[in-house]
Amino acid sequence: MTMSWPEYLFLLLLMTAGTLITRSFFFMVGGSRRMPNWVQRSLSHVPAVALSAIIAPDLLVVQGALVEPWLNIKLIAAMVATIFFLLTRHMLGTLAVGMACFTALRVWL
Amino acid sequence: MTSQPSDDAQAAERERSAFFDAVRASTQTMPGLFAWGVVTGAAMMQSGLSLWQSLLMAFVVYAGSAQLAALPLIAVGAPIWVIAFTALMVNLRFVIFSAVIGPHFQHLSWRKRLWYGYNNVDLVMGFFPQRFPTHTVGKPAGKQGYFSGLAVSNWLAWQIGSLTGIFLAQQIPASWGIGFAGSLALLAIAIPLVRNRPTIVGVVVACTAAVATVQWPYRLGLVSAMLLGIVAAVFAEQLMVKTKDKV
Repeated sequence: MTMSWPEYLFLLLLMTAGTLITRSFFFMVGGSRRMPNWVQRSLSHVPAVALSAIIAPDLLVVQGALVEPWLNIKLIAAMVATIFFLLTRHMLGTLAVGMACFTALRVWL
Repeated sequence: MTSQPSDDAQAAERERSAFFDAVRASTQTMPGLFAWGVVTGAAMMQSGLSLWQSLLMAFVVYAGSAQLAALPLIAVGAPIWVIAFTALMVNLRFVIFSAVIGPHFQHLSWRKRLWYGYNNVDLVMGFFPQRFPTHTVGKPAGKQGYFSGLAVSNWLAWQIGSLTGIFLAQQIPASWGIGFAGSLALLAIAIPLVRNRPTIVGVVVACTAAVATVQWPYRLGLVSAMLLGIVAAVFAEQLMVKTKDKV
């Protein structure tokens, strides 16, 4: 990490402000004012889109390039974990299954 | 006015029992939250943060998915505004949560509302509306107790998990790839959020753009991919609404 302490504290300040503003938004702005429907619908897409943009490169890109899916152990493990999650909706189990699959592939391949 | 003290005592008892109802209701989710905290705690240490920096982030920022999203960016030295923007995007779901929960607490002082708002986490959104649906807005009985029960449970499970992860991190060899558990946790958070076709369109566009721009400096590709994906989702939504209107 190349960040200095003052920089890091500034980042924490911004991130904490982000937590506080998003979580308390409609606690603070008045009760009678409601979000327009289209804003609410648009906002509802944002977290899934943002999270997938973060995850995709980690799962698909190996050392700066796309590789065949069957050679990409992270992708295989993530797909197994996804199937497990869709069947069970169990977070802890999903982490365990995904990591077990990842570790098995890493050790044996 | 003579009945005032016993009314107060009754009200206090009602909030107290609501508090423990909430604690009981959330018991089943504690192991998952704990595990997520462990993963985030370990990920903080392994992305190069010091012990104090990790502790500070866990206790002050207190937003697991935003932290997990920010860590790889911190590790590669992305600009501060890119990291803060990414965290903010991931946190935007809470604006919707606040629109559901916030109206129940409009009678409180702004300081209390800010404090409740800060604690308006996923667990609250999962349980509070089940017990207090929208039509109960304006009837505050039991709500502060129930909310606090959920908030305290969430805070404890999460912070104990974070501490465990932070202090275990040094014992876990880097070759185990524990950072991958962070990606898996984000995956498990993201999947339930994909509920309709416009979101799927946004997700596909964002993933494609994120992979295509992975070589861009300062992780600017990530920001571009998010914005492109959001525009695509909103556009797809408009298109689908219009098509429905014609039929």
